[in-house]
Amino acid sequence: MKASTRPVASVAYSADDKFIPAHQLAASLIDLAMSRGVDKNRLLRGTRIFYQDIRTGSSQLSAEQLLRLMANAKAQVGGYDCAFQLGRRLFPGNYGAISNALLHCRNMQDVLRLLNVFMAHICPFMQGYTYRDANQYHLVINDALGCGTQWQFIVETYFSAFVAAAKLLLGRRLPFHFDFPFVRPRYIQEYETNLGFRLNFSQPVLRIRFDLEWLKMPFNQQSQSLKWHAVQQLKQQAYPSQGFVAAVRDSLRHKRNQSLQDTAQQFAMSPATFKRKLQQHGVRFQQLQDELGLQQAIYLLQVKKLNNEDSAHVMEFSDIPNFRRAVKRWTGFTPTQLRIG
Amino acid sequence: MNFSLLARHQRLISLVAACLSLSVSLSFGLGEVKTWTEIAWLDVLGEGSVALLSVVWIVAILASRPPGKVTSALVIGLSCFLFSALLDWFDEFVHFEAAAEGLSIIESMPAAFGMLIMSYALYQWHQEQLALNRQLHRRETGWREHQQIDFITQLYRIDYMRGQIDMQLRTKDGSAFSVLMLDIDNFDAFNRSFGTDEGDRLLREISELMLMNLRNTDLACRYAGDRFILLLPDTDLHQAEELALQIKTAIAHLAFKPAAQATAVYHSLSFAAEMARPNDGVEALIKRVNQRLDNSRYAS
Repeated sequence: MKASTRPVASVAYSADDKFIPAHQLAASLIDLAMSRGVDKNRLLRGTRIFYQDIRTGSSQLSAEQLLRLMANAKAQVGGYDCAFQLGRRLFPGNYGAISNALLHCRNMQDVLRLLNVFMAHICPFMQGYTYRDANQYHLVINDALGCGTQWQFIVETYFSAFVAAAKLLLGRRLPFHFDFPFVRPRYIQEYETNLGFRLNFSQPVLRIRFDLEWLKMPFNQQSQSLKWHAVQQLKQQAYPSQGFVAAVRDSLRHKRNQSLQDTAQQFAMSPATFKRKLQQHGVRFQQLQDELGLQQAIYLLQVKKLNNEDSAHVMEFSDIPNFRRAVKRWTGFTPTQLRIG
Repeated sequence: MNFSLLARHQRLISLVAACLSLSVSLSFGLGEVKTWTEIAWLDVLGEGSVALLSVVWIVAILASRPPGKVTSALVIGLSCFLFSALLDWFDEFVHFEAAAEGLSIIESMPAAFGMLIMSYALYQWHQEQLALNRQLHRRETGWREHQQIDFITQLYRIDYMRGQIDMQLRTKDGSAFSVLMLDIDNFDAFNRSFGTDEGDRLLREISELMLMNLRNTDLACRYAGDRFILLLPDTDLHQAEELALQIKTAIAHLAFKPAAQATAVYHSLSFAAEMARPNDGVEALIKRVNQRLDNSRYAS
């Protein structure tokens, strides 16, 4: 498993840090809602966002404010397509350097490398890591900030954006496969029209998969020098690198059983402060540990096809029955079922 | 609630206000106010609520309907009724001298007259509704669910279509019907070049054009994004494809001019049709036609 190597807990952003330019996601969402007849003042109620600020192009918002705006939009815009339509208009949009860098990538591999470093510039809510099996490339997506009830809205938005962007860059549709932890929604038509028909619901992890051949398929507008220039611009921007929940998850990735005290120490916090901060983001420490265990088990059993003994050993279980029980509890499947499926 | 229509009813609103002031001045001008002990509070409550609710009804009519003959008749009728109700109510608060005794005798006449006008108005309303239903042909079948109307195209959403397909599948005679799925080509590129507001306008125009090419028994709904779904009763696959080709031709000739641009942008459609099979399900049918459309798009 290729883990992102950014242990810098000090630059992790919290849900209430204001660093997201208001003229990006917020502006697109406000425009969309207003074009559907939603009242501007009702839409912005409780978000502490001011419409004038968006026009100046210099104001910055916190993820919390955006989440509140999404909740309002979801409630006030009729129909089910709000998130999907928002996603479709995000890229290239008003993202500046990161959009330029992505636009001039050579292929999907290039895109994923860029996103691994600069994800927060375009999608501060998500954290991803990638691996490949014999046939497919996998992108596992986790919540970087504790988005709570807005998580599905965010997934729908950014997945639509990703599919639309891939189509723009490649010049044709790329056949993605999606695994969602949600139950199949009644508005399945939006998923099908915006994401395609390769959809699996009620899955243990949120994942995008595609066949390996697409990884190096050349893009239309590739240009090494333009991309390089955009990346230089990106590097000069003072921008936090990853969300708080994402940072905690990274610090646990290879030491899943590390105690809360030790983790808090890595973040230079007292255990009480650390716990409170996790609570602010709507997650519990144990929950993150279980989630990592689940994802590691899926990787070892489903992707690497390791047997129970080796998997249990890698995951530091003392005996196999314990391992089997834990896997069943996390995923709802036995190790054997996972290996076959 | 949306009260934007109220501003267009100035005349009718002054009529209601005149009713209110006339009844107040008649009652309190001619009568003598009762003492507290003389007032029957139960009657005050009962008659007061009749008057109050007729005001609420008048506001509801003014807020929901554009000006016109039917609206005027409804409001005039209700205003007469309101006038009587108010006189009746104020009766509880005032005595009348012998000279004004006549007032309490004639106070119920406006209500009877108002009810007559209302009955006429309701008949006109019925006629108007039939005319509107005819206008809605091809947008809706004999079933109305206003919550399921899509804001952009003003067509029904897919939820409505699911219900209608289900009804078709359940009909005992099992007459063959087809489902058609249409998708605008390169709609994303259009949105990127001209903005999403123009994209929304294009969707609206295309749905109008699509409706014009349908028969009165057909139904068009918005599926999602730039995809539309059509229900064609008593139609086999061959006829369905013919109809789709006609729509495709019509749209190919639509010279859509995005704002601030003189030259037209032309559009093409992709489509796929499916016929209902014996023991078919709604989801299965929609899935088949979707799959067929996608296959044809990947192939091209």
